[in-house]
Amino acid sequence: MPTLRERLNNELDRVTLDHCVKCTLCEQNCPVAPVTDLFSGPKFVGPQGERFRNEFSVDHSIDYCSSCSTCTVVCPQGVNVAEINSIGRALMREETGIPLRDRLIVNTTMMGRMMTPVAPVANAVLNNKLARVAMEKVIGVHRAAAMPTARSQSFRSWWRKHTPAKPATRGPVVFFHGCAGGYFEVETAKQTVEVLEYIGYEVLVPKQSCCGLAAQSNGLFDQASASVRSLVDQLRSAGEDLLIISSAGSCGGMLRHEARKILGIDDPELADVGLRMRDISEFLMDLHMAGELPTDFAEIAMRVPYHQPCQVRSQGMGMPAADLMRLIPGLEVVESFATCCGIAGTYGLKKEKYEIGQLVGKDLFEMVEATNQGYAACDTETCRWQIEKSTKVTTVHPIFFIHKAYGLAR
Amino acid sequence: MRHLEAEVVVVGGGSTGVGVARDAAMRGFRTILLERADLGQGTTSRFHGLLHSGGRYVVSDLGSATECAQENAILRRIQPHAIEDTGGFFVVTPDDDPAFADDFLAGAAKTGVPATEIPVAEALRRERLLNPGIKRVIEVADGSVDGWALVWSAARSAQSHGAQVLTYHRATGIQVRDGRVVGISAHDVKNDEQVLIDCSFILNCAGPWAGQVAALAGCHDVNVIPGAGIMIAMNHRLVNTVINRCVYPTDGDILVPVHTVSIIGTTDVKADDPDKLTIPRDQVQQMMDAGSVLIPTFREHRAVHAWAGARPLIKDDRVSSSDTRHMSRGMAVLDHDTRDGIKGMLTIGGGKLTTYRLMAEHIVDAMCEQLGQTRECTTATEPVPGEADGKLYHVTHRLHEREKNRLDEQTICECELLARSQLVSAMKEQPLGTMDDWRRQTRLGMGPCQGGFCSTRAAGIAVAEEVVDHERATGLLRLFLANRWIGLWPILANDQVRQVALDHWMLDGTMSVGHLPALETEIKQ
Amino acid sequence: MRIIVIGMGPAGLSAALRAVEAGHDVRLISKGEGGFQLSQGTLDVLASLDGHQIDQPLVAIASLGPEHPYAGIGADRVREAVNWAAERIGPELLVGSAEHNLVLPTAVGAMRPTAFAQPSMVAAAATREYAVVGVRQLKDMPAELMAGNLGAESAWIDLPARAGEQDPTSLTYARALEDPEFADRFADAVAKAAPPGEVILLPGVLGTRPGTWRRIRDRIGREIAEVPLVPPSVPGIRLHDAMVAAIRAAHVKVVIGSRVVGFEADGDRLSGVRVGIAGRTRTFGADAVIHAPGGFSSGALDVDSYGRITERVFGLPLTADDATGLITPSWFDPQPLFEVGVRADVHGRAVNADNEPVFRNLYVAGDIIAGAQRWIEKSGEGTAIATALRAADGLAEGA
Repeated sequence: MPTLRERLNNELDRVTLDHCVKCTLCEQNCPVAPVTDLFSGPKFVGPQGERFRNEFSVDHSIDYCSSCSTCTVVCPQGVNVAEINSIGRALMREETGIPLRDRLIVNTTMMGRMMTPVAPVANAVLNNKLARVAMEKVIGVHRAAAMPTARSQSFRSWWRKHTPAKPATRGPVVFFHGCAGGYFEVETAKQTVEVLEYIGYEVLVPKQSCCGLAAQSNGLFDQASASVRSLVDQLRSAGEDLLIISSAGSCGGMLRHEARKILGIDDPELADVGLRMRDISEFLMDLHMAGELPTDFAEIAMRVPYHQPCQVRSQGMGMPAADLMRLIPGLEVVESFATCCGIAGTYGLKKEKYEIGQLVGKDLFEMVEATNQGYAACDTETCRWQIEKSTKVTTVHPIFFIHKAYGLAR
Repeated sequence: MRHLEAEVVVVGGGSTGVGVARDAAMRGFRTILLERADLGQGTTSRFHGLLHSGGRYVVSDLGSATECAQENAILRRIQPHAIEDTGGFFVVTPDDDPAFADDFLAGAAKTGVPATEIPVAEALRRERLLNPGIKRVIEVADGSVDGWALVWSAARSAQSHGAQVLTYHRATGIQVRDGRVVGISAHDVKNDEQVLIDCSFILNCAGPWAGQVAALAGCHDVNVIPGAGIMIAMNHRLVNTVINRCVYPTDGDILVPVHTVSIIGTTDVKADDPDKLTIPRDQVQQMMDAGSVLIPTFREHRAVHAWAGARPLIKDDRVSSSDTRHMSRGMAVLDHDTRDGIKGMLTIGGGKLTTYRLMAEHIVDAMCEQLGQTRECTTATEPVPGEADGKLYHVTHRLHEREKNRLDEQTICECELLARSQLVSAMKEQPLGTMDDWRRQTRLGMGPCQGGFCSTRAAGIAVAEEVVDHERATGLLRLFLANRWIGLWPILANDQVRQVALDHWMLDGTMSVGHLPALETEIKQ
Repeated sequence: MRIIVIGMGPAGLSAALRAVEAGHDVRLISKGEGGFQLSQGTLDVLASLDGHQIDQPLVAIASLGPEHPYAGIGADRVREAVNWAAERIGPELLVGSAEHNLVLPTAVGAMRPTAFAQPSMVAAAATREYAVVGVRQLKDMPAELMAGNLGAESAWIDLPARAGEQDPTSLTYARALEDPEFADRFADAVAKAAPPGEVILLPGVLGTRPGTWRRIRDRIGREIAEVPLVPPSVPGIRLHDAMVAAIRAAHVKVVIGSRVVGFEADGDRLSGVRVGIAGRTRTFGADAVIHAPGGFSSGALDVDSYGRITERVFGLPLTADDATGLITPSWFDPQPLFEVGVRADVHGRAVNADNEPVFRNLYVAGDIIAGAQRWIEKSGEGTAIATALRAADGLAEGA
């Protein structure tokens, strides 16, 4: 069996370490290094450490990288710091073994499928302190970590019964809701569909499974690659050349670039999906810039703190959700400009990293608490759970406000 | 003036001289080694770092091939810390004749050099940047070797057997009485002191400078033709395996992963003066082209530093002196008794780093024969001090070490992950040294930023540790920056331009190093 | 107008802020973060000419040749530009003027002039009687070396910013010093260790926020001055943060992490720039573009392995296109390579060899402009800000 490094096709990411001039901008912006000395920092484990790695992995502090990708985003020289680190971590984990906990928590679809039929029970269990203590002891998920709330109806079962309110006036688009949108954040998925239909699109929703992002960030590269490939096939099955609109911030990023850059998947099919993928806010703002977005928004007189998740920021499209929400009269959008909320997918769930995650998110939580008037907005599910759990402020996808301002809320 | 006494004085602190001093000391000779600068500062460190498997010579020089294969195995036993077991490939590139590989395999079988042809696909899987158009691949037992680690550990071995190693001692005269060597004088450069050593034998191991040393005894016309070659270190290990081009030995035929870098080498042009080697632009371009044959993306990668070295080839009248490659690379021993009527002196030329121990054995054998003594050589079996664990060096070692104690100790050179204590012990070992002397022991400033961040740290530590005062530290800092630049400016391109811009911005811009008071006389290397 | 600014260093941030203040719809696109955080954290205007330090930057500007970035801007507009920037950043972070330089010590003990410095630094300009106090855990301020070159005495304090960590970054200290309890312990340790001298020189790590240093000074009870260190430059980060806060407050749209990879043009006008984002290349439309991506240090100006020099986004004409002969064998000599760049017209537009705009609405600012080695003459921020304002104020020209 070839080694993981040989199986991966990331050599071109790895060689970006040559661009590193040691300027420390990645270190300056890393959200983890300031709150713990367990992580030696993105430069140390990234372009610096990589020069010392052969096929062997000898440094374990790399495990404390949260995969937020901020280092890659801020690097002016084009070093794929986060990608190098992710690969290094996967290699390290391949050698040291991956804990059962990490194999379990990456199976979002499975969790959703199991929990939906028994939602009240599942929620009761997840809210039960004793159960959570046991869960922490047995599988290492911190007792206080944010857990999704199961819904009694999945998006799919809603979708099957759903009929558009009015006939489509624009061409079809494919909707990608992600597995959280399918089972836990069902409202976000529904609202996105209703907004797209309201502005005239025909919405197609192919069956869709997990993108594999959580598996990837836990070093389960083979599992992640298989997930990506099957999701790519599902999304492509909806039709050629159609735009794919995502309400799952991080999962869209997985398909757009992470699967290629980190997992090294060089398939033309993946590239095709990446090319067609649009974040919902990005899509709507592009329409707006082209003068094609209806702006019959009702006023929402409210101040709302908005946090752009690290994995949305790393997609390099700017901050379209903030720009979009600002189109709503009366809505005052306060950007957090926080690097990361601390959850970083599954990082902040883990027993040994929970405290770090809370420290990473501290300034954000304070900002949300200080500025909210009942709601906070954020593009990615796990970050919403983290913010809501840590601040007790209802945290919604930005589409919530668009949906409401279009008068679609019931 | 200092007066010393020894049986044997070895002149030259490169691999040959240090190997000879070790061998002589281990055979019980009271030995002193004189080196005009730092150990391994000349040819020994100015090469591409290859520990030959012998593969390079299986067609052109069968004797050398066998010697290399044997010495390669010995050095892995006696000096494992200086050697990394990278393995090597001989690759037939699209531009090369695939039939040469057959000659290669036949030669390998004949000379006892382990060599196996492997599928091209396997080689490409193991080395992803390799030219996908290569036609055949033969795997050999090449390694890479740190020339400084090699000579320093050999020197410590010599010292443990009673030898004195005097660096920064330039030989200034050889005393001959009644046709016999009776002593040698030297200048202690650091303390500006004359040193006189009574001795009965001199082994001239000065490499490219051997002609100058022989002349001190009045032995003229020892023609050492320095064959100059340039090497370029690329910023990281483009390959983890030594990549040789499977052709008759030519320029730019090898890429060697050494420590954190990979080194492309080399050219071969006759030089007039081994102290005035240059890194000509056309040779840099030649190396870039040569690298591109092995690694198609070679020019897009980052060249981090370059240097020139001189092979110490003794002139051989059979070939034209402008083409040094076809001279014998074997050792040549000049006996000054038969040649010049002076007893007690041998001059050694030629050789290669991989066979340095064997050369030393032959030279000391020759001396013993002249002295009419029989003393057995034990250098092949006794590991040098501190190598008892037999653990070969591996590129991951420093990362592993730093990972363990990164919170407890500062990393001074971040590129090369150099811990403060490692630097301080190098400073204390050579308190009169320059920052380049400390660099050779520690890899200070040898990574991507070339001293941009660590040079001022190191200068500061030298003062803090009371190794030097602030004036000398400032002078050493300036000298270090000037010296790093020698290997930088000829290869400046792509990422290294950005680095140099940032380095100047910090050093000259933020810190105004250019406006520091200069010493009345600049410190010289 | 829809304005795209490329780059997030002093030039890009200044151009974006100036343009948004003028009422434009501004989008700033940057591959990564910019230059302030790598700098000394002051505003240089001009401090050295032909190896001599100068006291009056604006006077010296008049004597510069026509190829210099300041040429065609003139002393008055340079004064106006840097005053504007200093005002936007605010007096809590910048004091001084472009009339006379402040001369401040560096971390290796050289004296370095600059026009505007941070209040936490300027006490050092009033005297040459220093006491140097280093922090054992900080490797970038070599106290004895610095003190020796300054003719001062030195001392160390041993006070980890985080327990058990001997090798933190400067920023770790700056963050720790935001905790008043730690700041007091730090001050007490300095007060106890500091040798005699009118001003205690301390590493430039005294807090991430502008006023934190005052608490430390007051607790010590003596004058102190921060000395800038190599990156991460805490004083530089403060300036960056202040400028970023200003553009955010003005709702400049920021796209970070994406490289501008090309452009779209309609005849002699740019209509947009092409940006490599996740998964694809997209176009942002623009009525004008201010190109402030930095120079050789950011790679905006590239030298390939053959020595060919190119401007990477627009392929702009440069003052030289071959590096051969522009790099000299001495580290201490000026390197003519680093003077290579783009020429600009009086409105800040990139021009060709015939002095004609390459595009009617493409402006350049900062290090991409030819004619100066900023780190030698110490003119980086001044040239960046002055050219950024020239570009932003000249936007009407390309309309």
